[in-house]
Amino acid sequence: MLPQNDRQRVAKMAIDLIIKAEKLSRIYVMESAHVVGLTNINLDIVVGETVVLKGESGSGKSTLLALIAALDRPTDGELSVAGCNIKNATEDRLTRFRRESVGMVFQNFNLLPTLNVNENIMLPGLLARRDNLSVKKKADKLLQWLGLSGRANHFPAQLSGGEMQRTAIARALINDPAIVLADEPTGNLDSRNSRIVMDLFQEIIGNGKKTLIIATHSTIADHIATMRLYLKDGALQFL
Amino acid sequence: MTLFRSTNFFFGLFFRFSIRHMAKFPGRALVVLLGISLGAAVFTSVRLSIHASLNSFNQSMEMITGIADRVVTRPGGRVPETLVGPLLKLPYVKSASPFLYTYVQPAMTGKSPFLLIGFDPILDRPFRKWQLQNSTLSDQGIWLDLMRFPYSIFAGQPLLDDLGIKPQDGLTLEHVGQSAGFIVLEALSSEGLALVEGGRVAITDIATFQEFTHIWGEVDRIDLLLDSTVSENQINQIHKMLPEGITLGMPNEDQLSGQRMISAYQLNLSVLSFVSLFVGMFLVYSLVALNAASRRKELAILRSTGASAKLIFFIFIAEGGFFGLVGWLIAIPISSVFAKYLLQGVGETISTLFVRVSVDNLTLSAWEIFVSLGMTMFISVLAAFQPAREAMKVFPKEAMDIGQPVATHRKSSRYLAITGVLFILMVWPLSSIPPPENFPFPGYLATFVLFLGFSMLSSWSLEMVAKITEPALLYLGKEPAWLAGRYVHSSGMRTAVSVGALITAVALFSALVIMVHSFRRTVELWANQTVAGDIFIRSKMADINRYKDPVSQNAMVFFNNLDEPVDIDIYRRLFLNYGKNLYQFEALKWDVYLRYGSFFWTEGNIKTGLQRLKNGEGVLVSEVFANRTGLGVGNLFQTSIRGTWFELPIIGVVRDYRTQGGVVYYSLEHYQDKTGDLNWGGVRVFFKDREKIPDEAVFQMRNRIIECCGDSVNVTLGTQLREAILKIFDETFAITTILLLIALVVAALGITSTLTVLVLERSRELNTILAVGGSYGQIRAMIFWEAFLMVLTGEFLGILCGIALSYLLVFVINKQSFGWTFLYGMDLKTLAVSYPLIIFTALAAAIPAIRMVFKQPPANLLRER
Ligand SMILES: Nc1ncnc2c1ncn2[C@@H]1O[C@H](COP(=O)(O)OP(=O)(O)O)[C@@H](O)[C@H]1O
Ligand SMILES: [Mg+2]
Repeated sequence: MLPQNDRQRVAKMAIDLIIKAEKLSRIYVMESAHVVGLTNINLDIVVGETVVLKGESGSGKSTLLALIAALDRPTDGELSVAGCNIKNATEDRLTRFRRESVGMVFQNFNLLPTLNVNENIMLPGLLARRDNLSVKKKADKLLQWLGLSGRANHFPAQLSGGEMQRTAIARALINDPAIVLADEPTGNLDSRNSRIVMDLFQEIIGNGKKTLIIATHSTIADHIATMRLYLKDGALQFL
Repeated sequence: MTLFRSTNFFFGLFFRFSIRHMAKFPGRALVVLLGISLGAAVFTSVRLSIHASLNSFNQSMEMITGIADRVVTRPGGRVPETLVGPLLKLPYVKSASPFLYTYVQPAMTGKSPFLLIGFDPILDRPFRKWQLQNSTLSDQGIWLDLMRFPYSIFAGQPLLDDLGIKPQDGLTLEHVGQSAGFIVLEALSSEGLALVEGGRVAITDIATFQEFTHIWGEVDRIDLLLDSTVSENQINQIHKMLPEGITLGMPNEDQLSGQRMISAYQLNLSVLSFVSLFVGMFLVYSLVALNAASRRKELAILRSTGASAKLIFFIFIAEGGFFGLVGWLIAIPISSVFAKYLLQGVGETISTLFVRVSVDNLTLSAWEIFVSLGMTMFISVLAAFQPAREAMKVFPKEAMDIGQPVATHRKSSRYLAITGVLFILMVWPLSSIPPPENFPFPGYLATFVLFLGFSMLSSWSLEMVAKITEPALLYLGKEPAWLAGRYVHSSGMRTAVSVGALITAVALFSALVIMVHSFRRTVELWANQTVAGDIFIRSKMADINRYKDPVSQNAMVFFNNLDEPVDIDIYRRLFLNYGKNLYQFEALKWDVYLRYGSFFWTEGNIKTGLQRLKNGEGVLVSEVFANRTGLGVGNLFQTSIRGTWFELPIIGVVRDYRTQGGVVYYSLEHYQDKTGDLNWGGVRVFFKDREKIPDEAVFQMRNRIIECCGDSVNVTLGTQLREAILKIFDETFAITTILLLIALVVAALGITSTLTVLVLERSRELNTILAVGGSYGQIRAMIFWEAFLMVLTGEFLGILCGIALSYLLVFVINKQSFGWTFLYGMDLKTLAVSYPLIIFTALAAAIPAIRMVFKQPPANLLRER
């Protein structure tokens, strides 16, 4: 169900719908009990939207992002992201999807400790078998933009938290994905670095071609949101 | 009380913190325990089996020696029995007992020979302990029956069981040319003399013995019991009253020289089996290091809640100790299985190589158990030391850190590599330190330092290999290979350790393959050139009775009157001691022998040497003799043989692989002139026409010899003898091969566990790669390439280390522990086949790790740790 706030957007939806979930559920089956991650989610998101996904810890934000990023599959319902059926697609298809369609930013950065900044950024481009030179060029541009040029040859262990997160953002953008997902991207940062990161996100969505979903339990992203979702106990809440 | 409380607390914490953690990942702990227990089992069972041999040897020797203070012997011959009377007349000689022994063959039973001892039961009473099963010794009537009834014996129960007879039964015994019927009077109860050779022993009266063996008026030795107040002077008086060539010596000389040889072998096999333990050490290291590194956060929390750095240190030391102790406990049942197989093999090897031992069961020794437990614990605790130190350095503040787990900071690999190179450079000077008295310690130390040095190179070499191969990797394996290279380049100690284990195993493998090949090739050459002869003749059981019984009269007559197209080399062989070293003195007909056989000279001038040897101007000695005694070309060979003093220059040193000590060769004609000993030890027959030696003629000749004197001599064809030599060789190295295979298995376990651990530990990283667009295939390929780089580095360094080690084995360790060296030769064929095989095996060991990828679902990336 679409939050009905803008008629124009509803009209556009038919053409530019990028994420569509129907009765989407993710139940974790444990030895002793079933844990509800998400339950019965209906959701349509169109291209260019900046979605802020809110909710208390444990409400299912990460679970939803993992499904959209194709890191996990639904246990029930349907989920289609950028034309890819996450539930039924083959593993190959999902890999291609992850390469081409999404970029992911994590709370704890998840840089590869054995690659330097430049290599970390270039990695998705290389994995996607893109031309080495163009990847390099793009990485240089991103480094410049993020103010990391002087850090290109440093290893993650030598960076500050803010620098690590900026590196991670560059990595998410290297393949120019249609969707950028961020799970508590400022959760491990101080307020100054948090602000820098949010400014960067704002720049990313500037031209309106990318769809951004930020999951956070704080208010830090509220000002850039074009759409707000609230999760509680795995279900979408309507306010 | 407080001590109890604090140890109680410590083990409580250790259990909750370490054991529970291990229980969470039982697979890893099990692999490590399996590895360490295999190592410990090999080590323990090898030590125990040799110990059993040593024990049985010592027991036999002690029981035979009895409590004598001195023994009268005649090197290379026997002592006249008439000396007993005059010796007993000396006031300070309390008792004297003439003693004879030989191996005899139970006729027509197919059973192996056993030891027959002959003495005077009355005179011998004070010397040796023995009892009869069904009567006490005060019951004089029975044991004096031995003197009363000719051809009667008392026998050990195991011997009777083996032969399937009981007291009052008769049996026929053979000795050289004689055979006679005996009656078993009574069984010996198992103590004293009856323990000799595990009970395969019988005693008889001296008169019976002499009559049966045709040794009239002579005995092997006379044992003496002296007054406790006997003076130096009085002992010299005994010396003086003994005829020329008869010596007064300490009773345990043979035992000591035998012990020394067995001990050298024990050390040799111990070191070889220790390698498995050493490789197991890498396993313990990698798991304890993993526990320390992956639980940094927990350690920081422990520290911040009040645990001291020392406590953390001891918790990880205790992890090492835990692996040692439990591994050792698991090793006990495994060793008892191994030992069962090793016991026989080791006993037989010692019997053929050094001295006759007979073992049938393991003897548990507190010392051996202590050594094996101690070694296993030491190795495991040592392995835990470095990770424990790292863990100790975790700051309490780290508990507050969040986010990116820090890559294990790189140890300065270059610094380590330089230390490694320094170690490797030390190997040569270390190995050239002269060993203290047959104890090849410098050689083993050099080996250890070599392994250590190469292991230290592994971290830096991995970096280098990854760096150098980077372009090739990118070209060959695309992104996965490139990623693998990047990982291996900066992964630090973790990968380096498993590469170290691989280096050790590959090195050992290469070195042993090279050594065994060199050894075998040399022995083959030696067997073909030096063990020359078409037919060999010697007295029956000459080997086991150490050539004490000369070739019979009728055989001598036969060969003296032979008019065939053959040459006859007659030789006399005596088993003697030179100082503390057992050796064989062989006098032979140089002119005949040299026409057909030849030696490998390692020292001396062969051109002039041969003529001088023929002229009786000196002796030729084997490498073993030279190395054991420290004598070389130009030194004098000085000793008394059968009452004649020999003082001869050593003309040359030659390779010789005859077992049971070194050899000294001398001219038979000159030996006979000097000593008047005209007996023959054996005969070598050569067919004159070397071009084609008709098989038929050889067989005919053999048959003729058997017809004439087959009852007293053994006839062996040259081809058979040479085959037998190579067979003994191969059997000896069967044990080595088994030990080697186990070390390789442990190394493979090491690779499996390290790679698996590396995968598990990096599940977050691997999932990240997946999240940013890597496919499962790419990630599996990456792990494969990581394994490949590690295996490549390990094998490369392992081969280098192995070549260095093979030099040590061939030219230092064999020389120091056995006295021989061999022609160095690479077994290129075997190596060319096995290296790819090792690569494949090592890569196969990576399969569990590759399959383990993504046991953790990728969505876990989004969960906080
Ligand atoms: N791998 C998992 N196994 C079991 N339960 C899980 C797993 N991942 C998440 N959950 C559960 O699903 C619910 C939603 O979790 P999550 O999506 O991480 O919430 P949020 O990101 O909003 O904090 C929680 O109750 C959590 O315990
Ligand atoms: Mg979350």
